[in-house]
Parts: sequence; C-alpha cells; structure tokens
Amino acid sequence: MTDQLEMDLREAMQARAAQVPADAAERLTRHDYHPRTRRLRPPVAIGAVATGAAAGAAAVVISLGAGASNAFAGWSPTPTPPAPGQLAGAQTSCEQSQSPIAGLSLQLSDTRGPFTFSIYANSTESATCIKGPSFTAVSGNMSSYPVNVPAGHILMDSSHATDRTGGTYSLAEGRTGADVTGVTLTLDDGSTVQATVGNGWFVAWWPGLHVVKSAELATSSGTTTQTFDNPPVPPGRAGSRGGMSSSSSMGSSGGGGTGTGTGTGFSFQGSSNSQ
Amino acid sequence: MDKHRADFDRFVADSTDPLLRTAYLIVWDLGEAEDLVQETLLQVARRWPRVRRMEHPIAYARRMLVNRALGGASRRSRRRQELSNGAPPERPTDRSDPQAFDAHDELMGALAMLPPRQRAVLVLRYFLDLPEAEVAAAMKCSLGTVKSTASRGLARLEQVMRPTNETRSIPT
Repeated sequence: MTDQLEMDLREAMQARAAQVPADAAERLTRHDYHPRTRRLRPPVAIGAVATGAAAGAAAVVISLGAGASNAFAGWSPTPTPPAPGQLAGAQTSCEQSQSPIAGLSLQLSDTRGPFTFSIYANSTESATCIKGPSFTAVSGNMSSYPVNVPAGHILMDSSHATDRTGGTYSLAEGRTGADVTGVTLTLDDGSTVQATVGNGWFVAWWPGLHVVKSAELATSSGTTTQTFDNPPVPPGRAGSRGGMSSSSSMGSSGGGGTGTGTGTGFSFQGSSNSQ
Repeated sequence: MDKHRADFDRFVADSTDPLLRTAYLIVWDLGEAEDLVQETLLQVARRWPRVRRMEHPIAYARRMLVNRALGGASRRSRRRQELSNGAPPERPTDRSDPQAFDAHDELMGALAMLPPRQRAVLVLRYFLDLPEAEVAAAMKCSLGTVKSTASRGLARLEQVMRPTNETRSIPT
C-alpha cells in the first residue's frame, strides 16, 4: 500500500505543481535581484556629509489584491487630510504584510485621497508602504551606513512600479537635511507633486512613470532648487505587473555638499501576492 | 563582478521554476509561493559571493525557502485553512483519466491538511525526489526526524485515502 501511495503521491504532486501558470516563474525571473553598489559623488563645496554616508537600496514589493481598473482614482498632487481611521487602517494593513517592515518604526505618512503612503525606518533600513483601496505595496531600502544629508538638501530614492492591473506609479522618498520644511517635486513632464515632509523624511508618489527632475526645497532662508539627473524610465523598466524598479540619487544644487562612500544593497523588482 | 552577476542570473533562471513549484506545494497558495521565492532569491542575492562558492547553491536556496515557508506557516495557517475549505483546485483540462484525477484530487486534499512540516518533508522527498539526507539538510533536522516525519505523513495520507479506495473498489 505504501509503495502505491508513494507512487500516487509523486503523480499527484506533479499534477498539482503543473497548475502553476507557465508565466509565473518567468515573471519572477524577470525581476532584478542583483546586488548593487551605489556610489555618491565626492564632496564638493562644503562637504558636509560624513565620509561613508551612503545608502544602498533594496526593494521588496508585496502587492496584495487585484486592483480596480482605475487603481489611482482620487490621487491628488498635493497631500490631503486623512479620513477618519485612514491612517490606522493603513498602518494595520502595512504591518500585516511580511518583510521588510518588520522591526521598523513608522516615521511619516502621506495621504492623497484614499491612498496612504507611509515610511518606516530605523537607523540603517527603511521601508515604504502604499495602501490604496485595491492594493497594498511594500518596498524596502537598506543602507550600509547611517545616512547623513546636508542641511538644506534632500537624499531621494525613487521607484517605479506596476500594479496588478498594469497601472504604473512612481514613488519618491528620502531624507531631508536640517532646515528643510517643504519639498515640491517637478517631474519631467513639468507637473509638480508636493511631498509630505516631517521627522527628517519626505514622501510623495504619483501615477505614471514620470521621473523627478528637480525639487524645490523650502527652508528658513527661502527656497532652493535641487536638480536630479534621472533618465526617463525605459518601457518595461517598471517591471511586470506587481513589479518595481528603483534608483537612488542625491542630486545637485548650487553650493551644496554631497557625500562619498558606497553602500551595497539590492534592487529587487517586485513581487506579488494574491489576497 | 560581471561574472558574479552572470552566475547569479543563471542561478535565478535555473532555480526559479523548481523553487516556485516546491513553494506552491508547501504553502498551497501561488501568491504566497511567489513571495517566498522572491524573498529567498533576495536573500541569496545578499549572500551570493558566499553562496556561489557552495557546491550546490540550489540546496542553500531550498533551505532558505523551506525555512521561510515553515516560519510563516503559523501566520498563514488560518488563511490556508480557509482555502482548503473553499473551492477545489482547478482541474487540468488535458487529463484523459477522470478517475485518476479524482484520486489525485483526494490525495492533494489530504496533503493540504497535513501539518506544514510533514507536508514539506513529503514534498521534498516525493516531488523533488531528494534523498533523505538532502531533505534533512533542507529541513535543518536529523535524518531520523525526516524518516519519522515522512512516515507519519504517509500514514496520515494512507488513513485518509483508505476509506475512499475501499469504497471505490466495491463493484457497482
């Protein structure tokens, strides 16, 4: 009986495993898991950043649930006040997700209509979570060293993602140097997105794959502009459905200091999960 | 560095499909399986300079996968139970022997109800056809534990399947 059972078990497992869609593994194979190193430009001008301040990025995205056809309805380019219970609901959904939020503390939340974009972090790792009516996506960044950003500047990580319906969206988050009280991003189509700023962080996101070309930073001494040399996102670079690509940049601005050093991490385009 | 990257690319290309199917059989949910595989590959990527020097990097990845699958088993157990009680799995359309499929379906239903460790041992042993020693390495347990766990798992499957088989053997 056992021999027959073992044979049946082998056959049944093969049949069950054959139910995995042919494109599932292929989709996972397309993701970029490569370890990578990011090198910030050497110090210029004031050189205010401590040697070794660098961040490598790792993104893990967990998209939960099938999206509606218009997954980003209700988004606005400026943050909106949260609806009653919106922040708590988002926090619950995000923290129910697995890695990479575990062990990190909530630092800042941005709300735009029904969407809540939160950042969690400790001294060397951060993770973002975007919660919408039809999806939750989590991504993580890892730093080799604590990040130190010059006063009046920002260090930005940007990502481009595709939800399960094929809708694309972009995320920008990062650290703000001392004295930065406001961040407004200008995208490569000329549109602007106002970020939420607080606790040494800024966060913003927008539908589509437009990249950030510059950021207007509000400081106590007025506004300054920090520019970024982000190339356009090539077709398909945002990954397959449920996928993500990410990049990090310090950008440049008149007289600003940047850091030097390397950090190793991983870029990881996406993952998906049904719910 | 480029060779490392190329090696890792090859590893991902070769290992993703077997890892995904293995994960699917262990956690019983495709979405969970995809997450597990990606988390595993991410972990392998972080340690690739060391992993690539191993004789069998896939064995390392498999161990990470099983560890993650079993580590998350309690968190997923409620959800899996709901799945088990829900609609039966979709039937392949190219099966020519409906009776054989019914037997498979019942067997898989019984497998789904096994404790996660028992199911994982049986998947590694009978789906991947791993020797018991490799199953032990993947499960991070002793050879004896593999043998006893597999034995208990098979006994439970046999127990579940026996009444059905006996019924089926009665001429109509």
